[in-house]
Amino acid sequence: MSKISRRDVLVGSVSAGAAASISAVTGAILAENQTKEALKAIQVAHATAVRDASVPFFGPHQSGIELELQSFTNFIAFDLDPSTDLAAFRRWMALLTDDISRLVRGKPVLADAQPQLAMGPARLTATVGISPEFFGKLGIERLKPSNFNQVPSFKIDDLKDEFSLGDVLLHVSADDPIVLSHAVRALIRDSLAFGQVRWSQQGFSNAQGVVPGGVRQRNLMGQVDGTENPAFGSSDFDRIVWIDVDSAEQPWTVGGTQMVLRRIRMNLDTWDKLGRVDKEMIIGRDLTVGAPLGKAKETDVPDFAARRPNGLLEIPAFAHIRHAHPQNPLERFFRRPFNFEVGVSPSGSPDVGLLWAAYARDLANQYLPVQERLAKVDVLNLWTTPIGSSVWFILPGVSGPDQILGQSLLEAAERA
Amino acid sequence: MIKKIASAALVVGSLFAVTGCASSAPSESSTAAVQEASLTFADGWVRVSEFSDHTGGMTGVFATITNSSAKDVTLVGGSAEIANVVEVHEVVMLDGEMKMQAKDGGIVIPAGESVTLEPGGLHVMLMGLKKPILDGDMITVTLDFEGADSQTFTWPAKASLSGDEEYHSNH
Repeated sequence: MSKISRRDVLVGSVSAGAAASISAVTGAILAENQTKEALKAIQVAHATAVRDASVPFFGPHQSGIELELQSFTNFIAFDLDPSTDLAAFRRWMALLTDDISRLVRGKPVLADAQPQLAMGPARLTATVGISPEFFGKLGIERLKPSNFNQVPSFKIDDLKDEFSLGDVLLHVSADDPIVLSHAVRALIRDSLAFGQVRWSQQGFSNAQGVVPGGVRQRNLMGQVDGTENPAFGSSDFDRIVWIDVDSAEQPWTVGGTQMVLRRIRMNLDTWDKLGRVDKEMIIGRDLTVGAPLGKAKETDVPDFAARRPNGLLEIPAFAHIRHAHPQNPLERFFRRPFNFEVGVSPSGSPDVGLLWAAYARDLANQYLPVQERLAKVDVLNLWTTPIGSSVWFILPGVSGPDQILGQSLLEAAERA
Repeated sequence: MIKKIASAALVVGSLFAVTGCASSAPSESSTAAVQEASLTFADGWVRVSEFSDHTGGMTGVFATITNSSAKDVTLVGGSAEIANVVEVHEVVMLDGEMKMQAKDGGIVIPAGESVTLEPGGLHVMLMGLKKPILDGDMITVTLDFEGADSQTFTWPAKASLSGDEEYHSNH
């Protein structure tokens, strides 16, 4: 581009020296051309804005949580090799830390087999978690927060091994599927010396530029998902999600959080037989804008006591939001769900649902009471089935280039 | 008139600068700059393989070295706590086979140019390993130059699928 500018200036000065009247015309054309070039450059920058957007890696918390949904995601769980001890875990985390710090800048990893595919950051994040079982396997049970345990099984569950449990989680998301695929490949390759892939679950939300932010998306039943989430950057969010010095039972957990991942299959064939009014009564919300029944806006607070003129409850007793709604101020968590779609049966039934991810400081007290209520009484269970379940302790963030993922846990393990 | 055109070009130029800035990648934080500002090292790593997982084994060290000075610099060898011998190697075609050998005269990094040490090509060889090198180990290596000061780095060790041919050669 600068080459073009230089040549244009040169041409301009020659014509100016030859004849002032001609040069004035040339100059005008020239300026117009240069404006066109500038506009083109701006258009190119605009067209590649999704590729070029990046999310910082270093900070008190891992990235990929307090962040608008990316368009594509992959959750990968590993089973630890029997030979993987704390020293090996440290080496694993050192490799992943280096890899992730490069990938989030749109750079290839070291010894990258396909460096060409690191086309840009595309808001890539890779978040690392460990399971309740991890602590026992590495002989550090005493460092496991006492409130951090697998979700108990419910009658509604039909859990499959291939979507459940595991020792270490890699959650990778990006706004571009090729950028995501490349990053996942690199991160898995650098993990194989320490564990084996137990499962991977791919999902998606909306493409960039389709919906405004707020971690709200339409799930494949048509409902707006993510209403009533705490706002990013708010003290509300901090209090609900991030473990701080005051709330940490184990000092090493400060800056971390807990995550539950439920794979929830949707039976769209039977759901689609319902009319709009039935669907809205089952959810308790208007399908068009997501407003609680009897209210106008998605953000309106539901009035569970409100009755219609005929005396019936606006929000029926069986409605999903009646039971999902917090019944005390503790029962709040942050939802960041993606959709999944794996294929379709010969008879046309799609294998679809939610990769329902939620985060809380303390799942046992913030999430579990709600889940227990929903498992018992939520009529939505007729059309949805949990088929995968796992919980993860999301490690604290990496504060700078001289730190690695899991640093505080490893230091606590050494001290103990 | 000249002034006017020049200033128009300047405005366009600064527009490019702004858009260029928005789309360009952040600077390489992994780069270690030499105090004398002549050599820059990026993306250093040490290879893990079945040849490096035992005492007495060997492996390669790889990086991109940029010489921003006005004179050629030669990588002639080095030293490492973990290895008995550190040599500068090349991979060449001998009798229809890719073979690795010590590179006579070292690796020249010409003035103003970059040289990438990579599997299957130029590299620094750690030989006579005093202990195994495992995935994720941080390996400290000192590189010696003619025309520049020695530099010490700590780089990660990791596996790589490419460039296996070098290990089939005779040492």
